[in-house]
Formats: sequence, C-alpha cells, structure tokens
Amino acid sequence: MQAKSVYKVPNGKLLKVFLNYDEKDNLIKSVSITGDFFAYPEETIEIMENKLKNTLLEREELLEKIQSIIKEYNIEFIGLNAEGLTDGILMCKT
Amino acid sequence: MKEQWRLLQTGFNTGSTNMAIDRAVLVANSEDKIPPTVRFFGWKPPAISIGYFQSLKEEVDLDSCKRYSVDYVRRITGGGAVFHENELTYSIVIPESHPEIPKNIMESYGRICGALVKGLKHLGIESEYIPINDIVSGGRKISGNAQTRKSRTVLQHGTILIDVDVDKMFSLLRVPDEKIRDKLIADVKQRVISIKHVLDRSIGFEEVAAAMKKGFEEEFNVELVEGILTDEEKQLTKKFESECFGTWEWNHKK
Repeated sequence: MQAKSVYKVPNGKLLKVFLNYDEKDNLIKSVSITGDFFAYPEETIEIMENKLKNTLLEREELLEKIQSIIKEYNIEFIGLNAEGLTDGILMCKT
Repeated sequence: MKEQWRLLQTGFNTGSTNMAIDRAVLVANSEDKIPPTVRFFGWKPPAISIGYFQSLKEEVDLDSCKRYSVDYVRRITGGGAVFHENELTYSIVIPESHPEIPKNIMESYGRICGALVKGLKHLGIESEYIPINDIVSGGRKISGNAQTRKSRTVLQHGTILIDVDVDKMFSLLRVPDEKIRDKLIADVKQRVISIKHVLDRSIGFEEVAAAMKKGFEEEFNVELVEGILTDEEKQLTKKFESECFGTWEWNHKK
C-alpha cells in the first residue's frame, strides 16, 4: 500500500513522507523522508530510511526505533524531531 | 593586522556550476589549501534550487521549468526550494574550528546571518535574523539561508532578494493543494519583501555585493581580499558538476 503525508512539525518545518507498507502485517516496506528540514550529517537520513524497513507501524515501537537510530548515528535535526517524524510516518495511514 | 579571507565574485552561472563551486571550495578549505572564503554570485539561466531532503517532483513543476527555460538543481544543504532570479546569492566556507564560528549550528546561523544584517544596514535596510534560517525586514522575509558541515568545514549559502516575482515563482513551484493556490500566493506576497521594494528604487547586483562585503568584514573583523578559484578548485568544480549536480541521479534522487 502506497501512502503519503504532509505534516507541519510543531515549531518546525514541513515534513512530507512517502510510505509503502504492508497492510496485513502493519510493517514498513519502504519510506522516503522528505521536506525542508535540516539533518546533520545529511546522509544519515538514507540510513534512517533503510533501518526503518520492516518496523511495525505502531507509535511506541516506531518512536523508539527512530530515537535509537538518531542516537547511534549522532543525527542532529533542525526543524524536525523524533516525535514529528514518527507522527508524520503514522499519518500516512489515516 | 586583520585576518584576510578570500572574496570570490564568480558572476552568473548555471545551477549545477554554482553548487559545484560551493562544494569544490568546501573540499579545498577542508584540506587547508585555501583561506576562509566568501563568494557572491548569481544564476544564469534563472534556477530553482531544492533542499537536500526535498522531493524534486513534489516541489518543482518540471514542465513549467522547461517552458520558462528555468534550470533546477538539488543542493547539498537542507532547507526549502528557492527560485533564484533577481537576487544576490552568497556562500561562506570556513573551518568549524575557526574561533569566529560557534560550534552550535543554530548559533552559527545567527552569526553568519549577522553579516547579512550588517550588509543590509549599509543599504539603509533594518533587518534581523529569525531562527531557523531567515532574515526579515519589517516582519517580511528578505533572505533565506542553509548550512551544512562536512569534513569539519562549514558551508553556508543563502539568498538576498533584490527583486521578487511571487507569481512567477509559483508558476514554477508546486503547491500542496491546488485549491488554495491563490490564497497561498497572496500569503507569500505578504510575507516576503525585496531590497528594491524596501528602498523603493532599482538597485544593481554590484551595489548589493559591495554592501554585503562590508557586512562580512565588520561582522567577522576581517578583510575580504578579492581572489579567484584555484586550478584545483576549477577541476573539482568540473568533477562535481559532471558526477553530481549535473546528473539526473542526483537531482531526481527523491
């Protein structure tokens, strides 16, 4: 299932997520995280997209996974944060 | 004696050349081959640059670009889509370790934007930096900026609007919802402003560049000495243009 969300992160930038997910298992097949935010180092967004494959589309688990990737790769977001990204991804489903 | 930085005035170039020059200077500076560098430039043909994380097709009307002979390029910096036509674009490349550059990214935006605020003041324009990455005059945006840090080196580039045509801009950019296109355009017209509009007179690129040069010199207490790209930087520019900014893979990657 292909879906898209457009989400203005509170006090942040405009996040646009393109999501391909498995409806039956509720798992992420692939995700493209786009928008006018900043992330340092920039290349870590591609790592984030890859690591989110096969993650369950459930708030707590998704947020935890995103936070752990941010920590592991030392990602600094400006205009975006873990909660905003989680909400943007989950919004694709509604 | 004041510290001397290099000033580049590279004139008007295509989107891919402009982005390749910034990256070439970044690499040369990270290898300690050139001093901190401030560059002023323009775009010919007019071009749209999109932020590193943006989706090209989502943000840019590619058919309109073709129709109006407007170029497009993906930047290595985050941030939003910008239509570069009647403006002065600057870039600054400087080691992260330079004492004048705050370690904190947001603080360093403020510091570099401070140079632009001082430059605008020389033109008789009051303005201020508003986080995350804007400079506003009378509450309206006159400059947008974007920064990256690679190989312990800071690259910040941004635009200072000399004149602005919001209708043309929106014929080239896509809007999230066609139903509210007219309202969106009306809103943006209220939210942006150009040097020409504030001063109520036409003003040339050179006059703006001269003011910005002073702004950078004052903010960082340095002397900007006009220079040229080194042979190595020119070669790197060609390389980045053909391998990155001029390629379909790079520009369409999202």
